[in-house]
Amino acid sequence: MVIASKNPIHSVLYLIITFFAIAGHYIMLNAQFLAAVHIIVYAGAIMVLFLFVIMLLNMNEETEPHKSTLLKFAGTIAGGLLLLVLVASFKNINLTSISGNDFARADIGLVKNLGQVLFKQFLLPFEVSSILFLAAIVGVVVLAKKEAQ
Amino acid sequence: MTVLVLLSVLGLITLFSGFSSDKKLPIYLGIVGLAVVLGFNFMGWDLAHNAYNMVVADNYSIAFTTIMTFSTIFILFLLPDFSEKVEVPLAEITSLLLFTLFGAYLMVSYSNLVMLFIGIEILSISLYILAGSKKSNTASNEAAMKYFLMGSFATGFLLFGITLIYGATGSFDLGTIKTFVTDHAADTSTLLLVGVILMLIGLAFKISAAPFHFWAPDVYQGSPSLVTGFMATVVKTAGIAAFFKLFYTCFIPLADSWRTTIWVMAALTMTIGNITALYQTTFKRMLAYSSIAHAGYLLLALLALNNLSATAILYYATAYSLATIASFAVLITVHQAKQSHSLDSFKGLAKNNPFLAVMATIALCSLAGIPPLAGFFAKFYLFSAVIKEHFYWIVVIAVLNSCVGIFYYFRIIVNMFSPTAEQETIEVSSLYKMVIFVCIILSLVLGLLPDLILRCNL
Repeated sequence: MVIASKNPIHSVLYLIITFFAIAGHYIMLNAQFLAAVHIIVYAGAIMVLFLFVIMLLNMNEETEPHKSTLLKFAGTIAGGLLLLVLVASFKNINLTSISGNDFARADIGLVKNLGQVLFKQFLLPFEVSSILFLAAIVGVVVLAKKEAQ
Repeated sequence: MTVLVLLSVLGLITLFSGFSSDKKLPIYLGIVGLAVVLGFNFMGWDLAHNAYNMVVADNYSIAFTTIMTFSTIFILFLLPDFSEKVEVPLAEITSLLLFTLFGAYLMVSYSNLVMLFIGIEILSISLYILAGSKKSNTASNEAAMKYFLMGSFATGFLLFGITLIYGATGSFDLGTIKTFVTDHAADTSTLLLVGVILMLIGLAFKISAAPFHFWAPDVYQGSPSLVTGFMATVVKTAGIAAFFKLFYTCFIPLADSWRTTIWVMAALTMTIGNITALYQTTFKRMLAYSSIAHAGYLLLALLALNNLSATAILYYATAYSLATIASFAVLITVHQAKQSHSLDSFKGLAKNNPFLAVMATIALCSLAGIPPLAGFFAKFYLFSAVIKEHFYWIVVIAVLNSCVGIFYYFRIIVNMFSPTAEQETIEVSSLYKMVIFVCIILSLVLGLLPDLILRCNL
């Protein structure tokens, strides 16, 4: 429904349903914290941002660019092939090869365990991602700053 | 680790030095700081310092970070005069260049796929901004937007690939993945293979290998020339080094399933890059296509994957970076004098400014691979690494492509030495002269004494 509906606002609202579905998957995978964060961040913050952008751009059917049929056709075939490859690779998956059965524990996705992993094993990536955000902030300032006349 | 901390602090210092009244202070601080970083980087040689099992500063990463830092220093030397003609916010640009370099450092010294991903993201996000830093110019805006959209798409592939590899092996760590792949070489799961191919797509995008090169010409042409020079040297070197490290460390046992892909990709990239470069009428776009072609040659090293290829890539990347920076410096000078990127604007350069013409000739000869310049020996070592693994046809294709390359590089040289009616002197600032001169001398020295780099024990 997200890509089929004509009205972009409807698309965004349908996307929220998709996000809830993904959050459901997280819960089934024992990742309760991630599910909650996913709903708060995506369905809450990001979706509001989407709506703002759509309203600011004032998109409607007339301004929508039309792709040629050939491109659509090629895109469908490429996407279908990718799907086929992925389904084939998931089909004969063998999970027993992974050592440890941490995945089955019910409390694995709680904040405490997540914090243990994030601030012990993955401390460096966590800190380094601050550089990523810093670069992004500098970028926003560069792009949004008023041109000095 | 010290180097990473220093580099990020340096980025911050240059950012805040933008408040000073001296507009060029950030650049000077950046150059001095990078020299310090280089020194600390060298101190780690042969130590293979491992930080948190996330980054390893072994000889491989130190060698590559050294050439990337040198390229960045050259680019920073070119920045002050460039900014007089083109309106760019200097402090922000300098610090973004340093952050990009930080991402590049992570990309060559990672020992965990999470680090690789964060490195690529830091590098890309800074580059999207750099590409669009000429805000009043629509071409620059288009370049930034195009790069951003295509780049995010490629990141999606990369991330998906990393996830599938995690799903198959249960780890992000290169060592663990390597052990898993070696142990399960006989019964590899399809999940792992699909993951490898998806990662290959994501990384091939970053080095603009065909068929994922469509963004490159427009982005290279639209970005400010200096940023294009940066992308063509530092970013390409980081991309190929990360690519090689991943496949050399982890996926050699699976080589049968991805070698054909690399073979086809290398052949396509070289051919498309070189043939399309023939038809270009502007120097900048021609250099963009030639950089695609060079990505194709570099992919050959991934085909070989023997003990020669790491050094071959290092040598090739050095030779290519030196020649490219020199050509971009010439390009910027000619562009600022004539306000045109077209090949015709090079007509009569030999008469108007013999120094510039001779230097440009040497740089282009090095790119084309004419002995005794570094470019020739770079190609020679790369091809001999591939021949050692008995891939003969791809080398034939590569040599034929080099001949095509010579043709379009020489078209510019002929243009420069052809007579013209108009007489105007082209001013070259002393900094540009110095950078061009140093780059050319280094290409000559490396061409005559290739052992300087080949001796490195990677």
